Amino acid sequence: MDRSYKELLKLRRFPHTWCPGCGIGAVLKNVAMAVKDLGWSDKNTVAVSGIGCSGRMSGYMNLDAVHTPHGRVLTSAETIKTIRPDLNVVVLSGDGDLASIGGNHLLHTSRRNPDITVFCNDNEIYGLTGGQAGPTTPKGAKTITSPRGERYAPLRLGHILTQHVPYFYARTTVYHLNHFKKCIHEALVWKGFSFVDIISDCIELNGRRLGFKTAHQMFKWFDERFHIVEGKRDHLRDDELGIASAMEEEVVPPAEKVAEKPEIPLEGLKPFTLEELRRFDGTAGKPIYIAYKGKVFDLSSSPLFQGEKRMRCHIAGKDLTKDMDMAPHGEDLVFKFPVVGRLKE
Amino acid sequence: MKRLVSGNEAIFQGAVRGGASYFAGYPISPTSEILQQAALYSEENPEFRFLQAEDEIAAAISTISASLAGAKSFSATSGPGFSLMQEALGWGHVVEAPCVFVNSMRVGPSTGMPTQPAQSDLLQIKGGSAGDYYPIAFYPNSVRECFVLAATAFNAAEESLSPTILLADAFLSHLYEIVDLEDIPIDITPRSKEPLGKGQRLFTGTVHDKMGNVKTNDPEIYRRWLWELKDRHDRAAGKYPLFEYLPRRNSETLLIAFGITSRVISSLKDRFSIFRPIRIYPVLERELIEVTRSYRHIIVVEGSDGQYASWVECAICRKVMRIPCLGGGFKLNWIQSQIEECLRGTTR
Repeated sequence: MDRSYKELLKLRRFPHTWCPGCGIGAVLKNVAMAVKDLGWSDKNTVAVSGIGCSGRMSGYMNLDAVHTPHGRVLTSAETIKTIRPDLNVVVLSGDGDLASIGGNHLLHTSRRNPDITVFCNDNEIYGLTGGQAGPTTPKGAKTITSPRGERYAPLRLGHILTQHVPYFYARTTVYHLNHFKKCIHEALVWKGFSFVDIISDCIELNGRRLGFKTAHQMFKWFDERFHIVEGKRDHLRDDELGIASAMEEEVVPPAEKVAEKPEIPLEGLKPFTLEELRRFDGTAGKPIYIAYKGKVFDLSSSPLFQGEKRMRCHIAGKDLTKDMDMAPHGEDLVFKFPVVGRLKE
Repeated sequence: MKRLVSGNEAIFQGAVRGGASYFAGYPISPTSEILQQAALYSEENPEFRFLQAEDEIAAAISTISASLAGAKSFSATSGPGFSLMQEALGWGHVVEAPCVFVNSMRVGPSTGMPTQPAQSDLLQIKGGSAGDYYPIAFYPNSVRECFVLAATAFNAAEESLSPTILLADAFLSHLYEIVDLEDIPIDITPRSKEPLGKGQRLFTGTVHDKMGNVKTNDPEIYRRWLWELKDRHDRAAGKYPLFEYLPRRNSETLLIAFGITSRVISSLKDRFSIFRPIRIYPVLERELIEVTRSYRHIIVVEGSDGQYASWVECAICRKVMRIPCLGGGFKLNWIQSQIEECLRGTTR
């Protein structure tokens, strides 16, 4: 077995800080292996992480690493990619960090689609702080802040992250190892914002409270809850493991042009002088006429002029050509009314 | 070429002259113009990058990350936005990221009076984030100085390896004056930090030793780290003991004012001596002790309820009189009558 990925790990700092049975070790190791397989090194790769157990991952990598404040990991990673497009930016973080305190940044960074890869160690709990309910904790799960079962439905990352094309969202678990490795590789080579939601176990602070005795029992639970779907998908259902991706932005067909009304020749129309026009101001049941660009329009059916001599600054029975410059609307608004005559010079 | 320039534009141009190549911000009165300038400038100069972030938290984090990635970066905001940036400000001190935050002050707390100037964010530059840290802060009082100090702030940031703060107020941001920006000489300190991708370093907000290893339960390491930070800041700040002192012979009264207040009371220079600190933090202790020694009355005129006055009192170990110009009211007549009252001893 090729063990050269160990060059990417700070082995002098081992043993690491995580509990026995934790899934983060598997995430760290497999990401390191995938990075090594792609031939990336400390010269062209940066690891960025947030706060929490998963946030410690960057500190164990032999790369330039940035350990950001809680939740700010995506903004930081995006900026690093903006300034240094030559660097590969790998984000190692967790569900609480990305989806809860960094939820706003998740929405907006994924929208801006920078070329970064996000690995989310999704253990459905706040692990480092002692096992509080998190944004992805399943409904009904018992935690120390939801002793009678979590009251609210979890955030569905798969739905949030597949809103804007292009997108790449993969869901996998630390138990389905081959699928897990494949997702990591696909995400790393994806051009654009790619997100791998790695369902991971936290046996010490979550699993035991849920009734599991060992990490292995949690893995079997993952196997029961999820099944792998092969091939390219647009979306993943809640019990599916796989890759949902879309590359091309949907092309919106250009709006059809509205057929222009045939030009009415001015000659055949009834001529009005300004004096005559002034009488049609809507008072005493008379129609409301206004002049625009040499034509006289009947605005009686306009809801804005109804029963009034004027609509804001527009006065009925006047030549309103000059008003158009100041109006917040275009001249289409006038043209939809029937033409009843022309203005005599 | 001489032309009319606003304070906001001068700050932006000064930053660019100081070497800035990244701006992240979020629209907020009265610094939205800096954001707009950055957007325009980045259209014309692709090497200058720009992000309109989703909030000030992201803007501040982005500014510091850009600095780690190798760009001289800055952000601009006002009081409420600056409150959101505090988290990043603390982080910037621990990861040693040189960058500049512009805070154009308006009346607070919270939304306060968004269009009215104030000088009430002084404690926030120093005490807004958790823990001890010592940012260098400058406060200009003219458009020309906005330009010069924006560039100087970048130099101080590189020397202190930390975020530096450039203060302004809503008046100064929108003050138009005739200046020739191209003609102002500026020295530029080169980048002091290797960009990312040059090794195996860990930039962490957790306290760490020299090797970048996280050490979270050793008081000795923390102490050594903090004293080193403080020393570095003192050394950097020592290069910029900026102030303006207008002594008036035979005057027994010294007025201390800065920013827009110093402009308002400048016409009183024929009656009183005036001291204007330009480096607001760290407080100019030595200079204040030196200058205030010979005066019987010391009056601090500022746009807050005695924020700078309390620092002056600490520095010179002596009570001073205060004239707080609150709610955006910086009328000379009113200040003059307050000074008279102070000198008669009828006000606090």
